Amino acid sequence: MATSDALSRLRYRLLPDRLFGELLTKSWIDNVIPALALVVTILVMTWIVPGYLTVANLTDLARQVSEFGLIALALTIVILSGGIDLSVGSVFALCVLAALVSMNVLGLPVGVALAATLATGLACGLLNGVLIGYLRLRAFITTLVTLVIYRALYDIIFPRLASAIVGSMPVSPTWDLIGFGTVYGLPVSFAIFAVIAIGVHVVLSRLRPGWRLRAVGGARRSAYNAGINVKLTVCLAYVASGLLTAIAAFLFSARLGSTGADTGIGLEISVLTAVVLGGVSLGGGRGSVGNAVIGSILVLILTSGLIRLSMPGSVNQLILGLVLIAAVLFDAKWVKNRGKLLSKVYVSPTYLKLPNLMPPTGTDVLAVNDRLGAAELIGLGAVEGPEDVVLDRDDNLYTGTRHGTIVRFLAPDYARNEVFARIGGHPLGLAFAPNGDLLTCVGGMGVYRVSPDRKVTKVTDETNRSLLSVIDDSRLRLPDDLDIAPDGRIFFSEATIRYEMSEWAVDALEGRGNGRLICHDPRTGATRTILRGLIFPNGVTICRDGQSLLFAETWACRISRYWFDGPDKGKHEVFLDNLPGYPDNLNRGSDGTYWIALLGMRTKTFDLAMRKPGFRRRMAKRIAADEWLFPNINRGCVLRVSATGEIIDALWDEAGENHPSITSTCEHKGWLYLGGVSNNRIGRVRIEGADPQWTAHDDYWGKR
Amino acid sequence: MRLLKTTKWLAAACIALAGIVTASAQDKGLENPRSTTFRKTLEGKKVVFLPLSMGFDLTEGWAAVMRQQAKRLKYDFEIRDPAWSTDAGTRALQSLISEKPDLIVAHNPDIQSYARLLAQAQAAGIKVVQINLESNTQTDSYVGADWTEIGEQAAQAVVDKCSPGKGASTKVAIDTGVPTAASDVFQLDGIYRVLNQHPDIQVVSQQATEYNPEKARSIMETVLQQHPDLCGAIGIWDNQDTGTASAIQQAGKGDQVFLVTSGGGNKVGCENVEKGLFNLYISYNVPLQGEILNAEIARLLLSDGTAGENKTLYFNPLTQITKANVNQRNCWTLDDLK
Repeated sequence: MATSDALSRLRYRLLPDRLFGELLTKSWIDNVIPALALVVTILVMTWIVPGYLTVANLTDLARQVSEFGLIALALTIVILSGGIDLSVGSVFALCVLAALVSMNVLGLPVGVALAATLATGLACGLLNGVLIGYLRLRAFITTLVTLVIYRALYDIIFPRLASAIVGSMPVSPTWDLIGFGTVYGLPVSFAIFAVIAIGVHVVLSRLRPGWRLRAVGGARRSAYNAGINVKLTVCLAYVASGLLTAIAAFLFSARLGSTGADTGIGLEISVLTAVVLGGVSLGGGRGSVGNAVIGSILVLILTSGLIRLSMPGSVNQLILGLVLIAAVLFDAKWVKNRGKLLSKVYVSPTYLKLPNLMPPTGTDVLAVNDRLGAAELIGLGAVEGPEDVVLDRDDNLYTGTRHGTIVRFLAPDYARNEVFARIGGHPLGLAFAPNGDLLTCVGGMGVYRVSPDRKVTKVTDETNRSLLSVIDDSRLRLPDDLDIAPDGRIFFSEATIRYEMSEWAVDALEGRGNGRLICHDPRTGATRTILRGLIFPNGVTICRDGQSLLFAETWACRISRYWFDGPDKGKHEVFLDNLPGYPDNLNRGSDGTYWIALLGMRTKTFDLAMRKPGFRRRMAKRIAADEWLFPNINRGCVLRVSATGEIIDALWDEAGENHPSITSTCEHKGWLYLGGVSNNRIGRVRIEGADPQWTAHDDYWGKR
Repeated sequence: MRLLKTTKWLAAACIALAGIVTASAQDKGLENPRSTTFRKTLEGKKVVFLPLSMGFDLTEGWAAVMRQQAKRLKYDFEIRDPAWSTDAGTRALQSLISEKPDLIVAHNPDIQSYARLLAQAQAAGIKVVQINLESNTQTDSYVGADWTEIGEQAAQAVVDKCSPGKGASTKVAIDTGVPTAASDVFQLDGIYRVLNQHPDIQVVSQQATEYNPEKARSIMETVLQQHPDLCGAIGIWDNQDTGTASAIQQAGKGDQVFLVTSGGGNKVGCENVEKGLFNLYISYNVPLQGEILNAEIARLLLSDGTAGENKTLYFNPLTQITKANVNQRNCWTLDDLK
């Protein structure tokens, strides 16, 4: 038994199987398969076509990618917005016509010709955009119709000017440079494409318009509810498509100096193939510039490679069609199953052995009593999810709610309450700074500060990124509790970096150290992670020495102490082990004691499950989440421990009516205030024999 | 002294001759060093044909003739088929430039698109022959029809039928193909050169069909509704003008509208002349063009000159096919050429 336990522990320590699930959460995973397909295609081409990987050939490819890729980008933007643009081929033809008429027929300067081309693309895109964005017509039908209309326009204008276009060649070095020139061995047109592609990538992935575009494409209604101007965003997507197509047309015109009746015909299909093959999802909201570029290169290699292999043209088109179907099929399956696969493999339990738990006997300090049963209720039904409670110098009571507000109950009777501040996320841990600012850890957002005049400012929402973490751990996902050191530094815990606020309890199934302790220094503005690999670090309290802090590790059922200053700086030791339940917030109490809120009690079953990671993995894979075995977080108690870590008192709610699960406590002037993250009330009980003048404020910052 | 020398030489020659005669009892002829060089030079060379598209009479015909010679003289002959796409064609041409075959036979979709690339190909040392559709760049050679001449002949034929008093009216329709192609640009020039001398002929419609018979049919249908007294029609290509002809037949105006078209002279076109669908069919004779093409390919591959050094062209003769002269000599099938 012991050896199998040891083996199991070793296996889960050495094999990082959580990585698979974490890789699947990355947005770039959508690119991996197209990229692999590209590599395979290139290898096959190198093998079949002798001298394929030559500089000349690659230069050639680069030139082709620049025009084709720009149109792929155009279509990508539209598909990201949740639409489709079938008219790209016709817009392309019209823009080519505009460019050639400007250059060959009218003899305008290159700059003016470019402006005319862009204006043509803009007009075409705007028409699409207004029809689809503002008049809310179906994208597919609308662009199918404009495909025909624009083509008809082209067919009307083009024959009248054809002879004039082919009859003269403009004398313009710039024009020739765009068409044929190179910079540092790269075709000029490719350089133009690269600059535009990088620009579009930055806009799509890093800037507000890009995020809005994805939001609109991913979930139109949610985007609307979030305050995004959906109509404008959709309209602009088509305008961008028109402009990018115009640039491609300009490059094409400079290269060929001519146009034919077939210009742009069938372009929408090959570009669509490229975009879908690259991994842009037709459903909208998913895709990137990288997808578009990979797909473009793939399609170009395929088509020119097939021509090069002397395949009949109709066979080429057949193959391209089959590739499109395969890509669409793969896209549909991938989008559908990626989430399923992820939910199956993401939960990655590991081995966690808790010390043996002795059941309390009748006279034990932990014996169940009913001292919380008589708790006075504050704000019953007025608050939802008061995870932490805190009182100010004027005895007003503050708590965060699930609705994203901080609610203040006014002293002395706490009968009246008001919304003190609106944060937007669920405020968890609360603490007062000496100047009266209220600091709070907001789930999913970061650490925020609310000044006494109710101004909300962000303190920090990121920390340093660790080098080897697959998950982006620079973002704060679940900051839980915080406390302020005498010098003003803010120490806060982040319970887990693998789960969002809504699924915090799932982290219990893993039993791995997914959490960390972070320090924000307001003097430098820097936020640094100081301890990693903590098992759901929760409550944080600065010790009275001003050099160390206590923090609770919930699923490990222990309290640890960490020295951040002084001679023992950096020391990290267990303060109190083998707790009977899962500790949540820690707070100072009178007489040099500490209060520990237990949100649930341990059970033998779950302790055993924690030593059987394979069992928990099977469970997470095979049965629905609402049937999983979770730790008991329905029923806890409050413990009082001495400064040396002995449990000296326990308060229970025997009937379990008012405060069965407790996530925080706050002692204030002889009363103990109780919060619970799944409660709809705050409780308070009188503490027998406690100093009626003691407040945490005075304990921290001295009497005023 | 001189005499003595000559005698000595004669004697030596006699001895040598005797030796040869005794060594080989029979005459086996002389090795022709030019033949050996001809074959050796051509062997292993690479010729690539870049048509508009495969799968229709002209390109299949040329390809068949060229392939035969390639087989006979053991050089490589490849086809890059862009399937009617100018863009795919330019890409194929671009990659040919880096691939460097010895010679490219290019069939231009229009007079501009390949122009600069063909010049680049020649600059890269690849010899270029253009077939039947020229570009603005003159290359090593052009083999094919003189479209101006076709236009002139077609217009002249229509003028003959539709001058005032001769036909139902003086109205003429022109169905062009792709407005930027050589067949359109130069042929229209030829047509108007003639028509300008006959101001009484009115052109009532001039529309592009993009080589598409269905489009040609619907265009002619509309034209005939607007001008029921149409006298003549000039089409630019027999394959598309089967549509034009069928519109005329459907309107029951086969006897009224004089339809002139041009093409490669394949059997189908000839049959249409026999059936009376085409009244005049100007043939530029694909088998003939193929043979001239072959001669040009061989000449250029043998020549030491660099690509683009000497530019020549040959406008091949045209045959006017009417019901009177549809015969074996003027009409061909693809199987004949294989």
